[in-house]
Amino acid sequence: MDVFGSFALVLAFVCAVYAFGGGIAAIVTRHPLLIKSTRQAGMATCCLIFLATFSLEYLFFSDNFSNAYVVAHSNRDLSTFYKIAALWSGQEGSLLFWSFLLAIYVFSVLITYRNKNGELMPYVGVVMAGVQIFFLTLNNFVESPFRALAVPGANGAMDLVARADGNGLTPLLQYPEMVIHPPNLYSGYTGFTIPFAFALGALLARYPGEKWIHLTRKWTMIAWMFQSMGILLGAHWAYAVLGWGGYWGWDPVENASLLPWLTGTAFLHSVMMQEKRGMMKVWNVWLVFCTFLLCILGTFLTRSGVVSSVHAFANSSIGNWFVGFMGIILLVCFGAYFKNRDYLKSENQLDSIVSRESSFLFNNLILLVSCVAVLSGTLFPVFSEWFTGNRISVGAPFFNKVNIPIGLLLLFLTGVGPLLAWRKTSTESLKRNFGWPLGIGLAAGVIALVFGFREFYSWICLLLCVFVASTVLMEFYRGARVIRARSGASFMASAVDLTMRNTRRYGGYIVHMGMVFVFIGLAGAAFNRDLQKDMRQGDTMQIGPYTLVLQGFETKPEKNYTAQRMLVEVLRDKKPMMMLYPEKRRFTTTVENGTMVAIYSTLKEDLYVVYAGTSPDTQLPVLHAYLNPLVKWIWFGGVVVVFGTLVALLPNRRAVLVLSGAQQPAAQPIAHGLTPSVTLREGHD
Amino acid sequence: MTKARATAAIMMLAMLAVVPLLITPVGAQQLSDRAKQIGGKFMCMCTCSQVLTQCNHIGCTTSTGMLKELNQSLARGDSEDTITQMFVQEFGTKVYAEPPKSGFSLVAWALPSVYLFVGTGLVIFVIFRWRKRPAQQTAPAGGAPGISAEMLERARARASRETQD
Repeated sequence: MDVFGSFALVLAFVCAVYAFGGGIAAIVTRHPLLIKSTRQAGMATCCLIFLATFSLEYLFFSDNFSNAYVVAHSNRDLSTFYKIAALWSGQEGSLLFWSFLLAIYVFSVLITYRNKNGELMPYVGVVMAGVQIFFLTLNNFVESPFRALAVPGANGAMDLVARADGNGLTPLLQYPEMVIHPPNLYSGYTGFTIPFAFALGALLARYPGEKWIHLTRKWTMIAWMFQSMGILLGAHWAYAVLGWGGYWGWDPVENASLLPWLTGTAFLHSVMMQEKRGMMKVWNVWLVFCTFLLCILGTFLTRSGVVSSVHAFANSSIGNWFVGFMGIILLVCFGAYFKNRDYLKSENQLDSIVSRESSFLFNNLILLVSCVAVLSGTLFPVFSEWFTGNRISVGAPFFNKVNIPIGLLLLFLTGVGPLLAWRKTSTESLKRNFGWPLGIGLAAGVIALVFGFREFYSWICLLLCVFVASTVLMEFYRGARVIRARSGASFMASAVDLTMRNTRRYGGYIVHMGMVFVFIGLAGAAFNRDLQKDMRQGDTMQIGPYTLVLQGFETKPEKNYTAQRMLVEVLRDKKPMMMLYPEKRRFTTTVENGTMVAIYSTLKEDLYVVYAGTSPDTQLPVLHAYLNPLVKWIWFGGVVVVFGTLVALLPNRRAVLVLSGAQQPAAQPIAHGLTPSVTLREGHD
Repeated sequence: MTKARATAAIMMLAMLAVVPLLITPVGAQQLSDRAKQIGGKFMCMCTCSQVLTQCNHIGCTTSTGMLKELNQSLARGDSEDTITQMFVQEFGTKVYAEPPKSGFSLVAWALPSVYLFVGTGLVIFVIFRWRKRPAQQTAPAGGAPGISAEMLERARARASRETQD
C-alpha cells in the first residue's frame, strides 16, 4: 500500500505540473480543449492526493510497521480514533494532510465553476496548481510519508525491515480536541488559498474590482470560520491538556495561527467597502495576498524550528523550501500588481470622516497593527540574535501588554461601526444611535464599580462588551419591530425572519455578539486565582468557595497507558458537591507522562484541578487548583461565532428589507443603491 | 420611548449587569505573591516556552529549581534587580519573559506604538486624500501612464459578462 500511495503522489505531482504549465498555455492560446484538459488535470491531481492520503490511513489501520512514518506515530494499542489523528501528528503526514485539505478546496472550486467564469478560471487554476506543486514537491521529494523502514545492513547498504509494534502517538496528542483541532486549523490555512487564487487570477486577468470578491466571499468566510474554530479548539486543548491553567500562552505557533485570522478578519470587513463603494481595491488585493503569505509563514514557523514552541514539529531543513516559496509568491504578487494596478482604481470619494467607511478603515488599521505587533514580537528573538548575538525571549507578558489595549480599541470599533451610516452620519443620528448603547454600557460600568470591580482593563472590557452587545441587540430590535408591525408575527419570529432576509448582515452581527462573549471570558482572566499544595490523604485545600478534600488515589491500567488518579471531593458551604479525578498518565510505549485536568465548569467560573506530580521535598503528591472566572464564555462565544458565520453563508430568503444602521436624511442622491432609510432590494449589507 | 423599548432596555441592562456580579474576588490565601509576581517575569528554561510560574511539566526539575532559587533569594531579601541579574547570568537573556526596556530590546516595545502612529497617520492621510478626490476618478496614480476611463469600463463590462457566482 505504501508503494501505491507513493505512486499516487508522484502521479499527482505530474498532473499538477500539467495543470500549471497547460493552464498557462491555455491562457495564452485560449484553446477550449486545452482549458478543459488542464481543469481535468487539476481534478485528477486532487483525486490522486485523496488516494495517497487514504492509503496512508490504511497503513495506520492495518498496523503496517514496515512504514517508517507509521512506526514513528502509531502502535497496535492505539485506538481507532487516534489512528486517524496519527496522520497529521508528524511532519510528513501533516504536509500530506495539508495537500489533502487543499485538494478538497481545489476540487470543490473546479467542480463549482466548471461551466462558469470561463475566462477567469484558467488563471485561478494555474495559481491553485502552483500552490499544489509546492506541497506535492515536499510530499514527494522532501518529506515523504511513504518511506519504508530501513536499518543499516551488514554490507553498509540499508535493509528494509518491519517492526512488531510502533512507537505510539505522542501523549499530548491523545485527546479528542487533537483529532478535530488540526483539521480545523489546516482547513483555515489551506482555505485562504482560494481567495488568494481568485485575487491573483483576477489581477492577472485584469478584472477590475468587485467580481472576484463576489466569487470568493463564501470561500473566504469558510476559511475564516475554520481558522476561528481551529484557534479556539487549540485554546481549549491547551486549557484542558497542558494543565497550566490558561488557554492562550502567546506561543509562536499559536501566534502564527492568529496572524492570518487577523488579516482575514480585516479583509472580511474591508471587502464591504469595495462592494458598496468601489473603494479599497488595492488594499483588499494586498490583504488577501498577505493573508495567504501569513498562512505559509505560519506553516514555516511550525515546521522550520526557527522559533521554539511546544507545538512545533521537529527541526528540519524544510524551512528553506518555505522561504523560497514565500519569495516566489511575493515576486509574483508584486509583478502582477505593478503590471495591472491601473485596473484597481477606486471609484468613489469619501464624503465624510464620520461614516462607516472611516470606521472600516480604522477597524482595518487596528487589526493590522495587532497583526504586525504579534508578528514582530514573535520574530523578535530571531532578530535580536541576528543583531546582538543574544536571543531575547518575548513571552506572554509582552504580548498581553501590547495586545490588550489594541483588542479593546477593536472591541470599541465593533460597537461603533454598525451605528455609522455609509457615506455620512449626521449629528442627530449619532445621538439617536449612540444614546442607548452608550448609556447602557456606562450604567453597566457603574454597577461593576459599585460591586468592587477594580481591574482597569477588565472594567473597560466589560463596559465595551455591554456597549457592543447593546448595539447588536438594538439592530435586531429595530429591524424585527418593523417586520412585526407588518406581519403581526411574534418578536422572535420577526427577528429570525429579519436575519434570514439579510443573512450576511445579521449573521455578521451574531458573529460580533460571539466576539463579545469571547471578550467577556477574556476579561475574567484578570481575576484568576491558583493554589498549590502537597497533599496527604484526607488533607483539604480551600480555594474561593470550594473546599477540596483528597479522598485517595487509584491506579487504573488502560489499553495504551496507566492512569494514576487523585480522588478529590469538592465541597461547597460544607456540602458535598461532586468528585473530581485529575490524573497523570504513563504511556506504555513512549514511557512519557501526560496530564488529564479535571474541570468543574460553570458560567461563573471554572474550578480547574491538576495532579501536578510529586513534591521533591516532601515526596507527597501535589494538587494544583485554579479558580478561573468566566472561561466558559469563551467557548460559548466561539460556538456563537461559528453559528453566525454559518448564518452569513446562507442565501438570503427573499428581497431584503434594508434598514440603514443610522437613519439618514433622504436628501442626497446615493450611489450604488445605498439607501437613506428603508427600501426593498436584493443583496448584501 | 415606547413601553416595549423601555422593557427591552431594562431587561438588557439587568442581564448584562449580572456579569460583574459573576466576578467576585475569591480571596484565596496566596502564600508567595511576590514570588509569583517576580517569577512571572522569567521564562522556564525547560524549553516549554512558558512563563516560569506557569510551567506545569510533570516533574519539571528546571522550573522547580528556578522557583527554589527565587524563593531563596527572596528569603535573603534580594531585590528584583538582583534576582534578575542572577537569572540572566545563569541562563542568558533567553530567561526574560518580556524584553527589558533598555538597549536593543527597546525596539520590541517601540514597534507596536510606531505601527499604531504610522498607521493612524496613513489612515488620516488616505481619508483626506479620498475626501479631496472627485468621484469616478480614473487617472492613474503617481502620474504613470495608465488606462483610460473607456478601457476601464470595457474591462469592467468584460468581467461582469464573464463571471457568475
